[in-house]
Amino acid sequence: MAEKQLPKKEFNSIFWRSFTLLGSFNYERMEGLGFLYAVLPSLKRIYKDDPEGLKEAMHRHMEAFNMTVAPSPFVMGLAVAMEENAKEDKNFDKSLINAVKVSLMGPLSGIGDTFFWGIFRILACSLGASFALQGNVLGPIILLLVFNIPNVLTRYYGLKLGYGQGAGVLESLQKSGKMQLFTFCAGIVGMAAIGCLTAAWIGISSPLAFEISGNTIVIQEYLDQLCPQLLSLAATLGVLSMLRKGVNTTKIMITVIVVAFVLGVFGIIA
Amino acid sequence: MSLIQAILVGCVAALTQLEGDWLGECKFREPVITGFLVGLIMGDVTKGLMIGGALQLMWMGATNIGPTAGLDIGSGGTIGAAVALMTGSDLEVAVAFAIPVAVVVQMMNILKMTAFSGLMHKADAFIDEGKESSVIGIHFLCGVFTFLIYWGFTFVVLYFGEGVINAIVNGIPAWVNSGLSAVAVVLPAMGFALLLNLLWEIKLVPFFAIGFIAAAYLGMDMVGVCALSVAIAAIMYMLKKDGVAQELAPAAADDEWED
Repeated sequence: MAEKQLPKKEFNSIFWRSFTLLGSFNYERMEGLGFLYAVLPSLKRIYKDDPEGLKEAMHRHMEAFNMTVAPSPFVMGLAVAMEENAKEDKNFDKSLINAVKVSLMGPLSGIGDTFFWGIFRILACSLGASFALQGNVLGPIILLLVFNIPNVLTRYYGLKLGYGQGAGVLESLQKSGKMQLFTFCAGIVGMAAIGCLTAAWIGISSPLAFEISGNTIVIQEYLDQLCPQLLSLAATLGVLSMLRKGVNTTKIMITVIVVAFVLGVFGIIA
Repeated sequence: MSLIQAILVGCVAALTQLEGDWLGECKFREPVITGFLVGLIMGDVTKGLMIGGALQLMWMGATNIGPTAGLDIGSGGTIGAAVALMTGSDLEVAVAFAIPVAVVVQMMNILKMTAFSGLMHKADAFIDEGKESSVIGIHFLCGVFTFLIYWGFTFVVLYFGEGVINAIVNGIPAWVNSGLSAVAVVLPAMGFALLLNLLWEIKLVPFFAIGFIAAAYLGMDMVGVCALSVAIAAIMYMLKKDGVAQELAPAAADDEWED
C-alpha cells in the first residue's frame, strides 16, 4: 500500500501549529485546545461540506489531551488520518479516535520523556553550561542546537509517519517488543549521563579538618580515598530513596535546602 | 536599573514561558540562555553567562514534567541573574533571589492554569456557535495573559524593588552567604535524583554506575560518557533484538495453555 501524504500546505500548518500545543495549558483539558488548533486546518478540509460534522469533530479534539510535546505531531497526523476514515466510512466508530489518542499518551510520553528530558536536555544543558561557565557565548548557541535539532526532526517525521502509516507502526513495534527494547537502550544512555553528572557537576565537599597531636586530619582526603565524589553520590541517592518512597517533591526540596543551608553555615559542607 | 533595562528583562522572563507556549519548548527557559540575554541587556555578557552557567548546574534536573511542576526556573534564572548583575554581586546572591522567585512564580502559574480551565468552556460554546476564529483567539489569549503575568512580575520586582533588593543584598551576613553557597552546591543532587527517578528501572542501575565511575575515577567528560553509553546501548540492542521475539513467543504460548 502506498504511503498516504498530506497536502504540503496542510502538513506545514499542522507542523508549525504543533509548536503552540502548550499555549493554553490548563488543568481541565490540558493540551486539548492546542491539539484542536493544530489539526483544525485538516478538520476544515475533511468536513468542508458538513458544518455539523465539523463542530462534532472540533469538540472531539478539544477533549483532554496531555503528552510530552515533541512526539505529539505523530498523534496529530494519526488523528487526521482517522478523521478522514470516519468521514468516508459511515460505520466508523468515532469514539475510537479519542480512544486511540488517549492510549498513545502514556507510551509516547514515556519514550519522549526518556529521550528529551533524560538525554537531549541533559546533554544540551551540560554542554551549554560548561561553555557558559567560561564566559563563552557558544554556551547558549550549543544548548539550543543540541536540544532543538532532535526536537524539530521528531516533530517533522512524527507527523509524516503518524499520518502515513498510523497506528500500525506503533502496534507492530509494541507487539514485537522492540519498543520496550528501544526505550531500555535509551535509558542506558540517560542513566550513564546522570551517573556522569553526579560525579562531575555536583562537587559537594567537606572543609572539615581536625588537629590531632600535631597532625592535621582533613576529612575530605579520607572521603576521596573511599570514593571520589562520595558526598555527591550520597546526596543524590539519599534524595532518590525519598522519591522512591513517594515523599512529596516540595517537601524534599524544602528539606534539601534547609539541611544544606545549616550544614553550610556550620562549615560542614561546601 | 534603567526603565528600558527593566522592560527588556521583563520580556526575557516572559519569553521563558512563551517558548513553551508558542515555540514548542525550545529551551529558552534554561539559565544559560536567560543569563546570556540578561547579560546582554545589562551590558556584561561574560558575567551573565557565568552566573547562568552556575544556575544551570543547580537546576540541571529541574524539569517540569506535566502539571507536577515545582519550580519556574525561567523567571527564577532571569531575576536571579539580573539582581546579581545589578548589585555587582556573585552567585550566592543570584541563588538567594532565584529560588524564592522560582517558587512564587510557579504558584502563580498554578493559579493561571486553574483559571484557564474556565476559558475552555467558553471555547466549547464558541464551537457550537460556529465561531472558529474565536476558539483560536482563546488559545492565543492565554499566551497574552502569560506574557502580562511574567513581564509584570519581573518588571515590578526589578524596577520598583531596586531599593529593597539593594538593602537585602548589602544586609546579607557572611554566614548566610556560606549557607546559600552550600545550597547551590547540594541542589543539583536533588535534580539528578529527580531524573534518576524518571528513568528508574532496576536493570538500568549498572549503567548509572558505569557513568559515575567513568567520570569520578577516569575523569571522562559528558561527551565521552555519552559516546561510551551509546556504544553500550548499541551492543545491548544487537544482543537483544533477535531475542525479544523469542522471549515473547513462549509467553504467548503459555497464555494459550491457560486458556
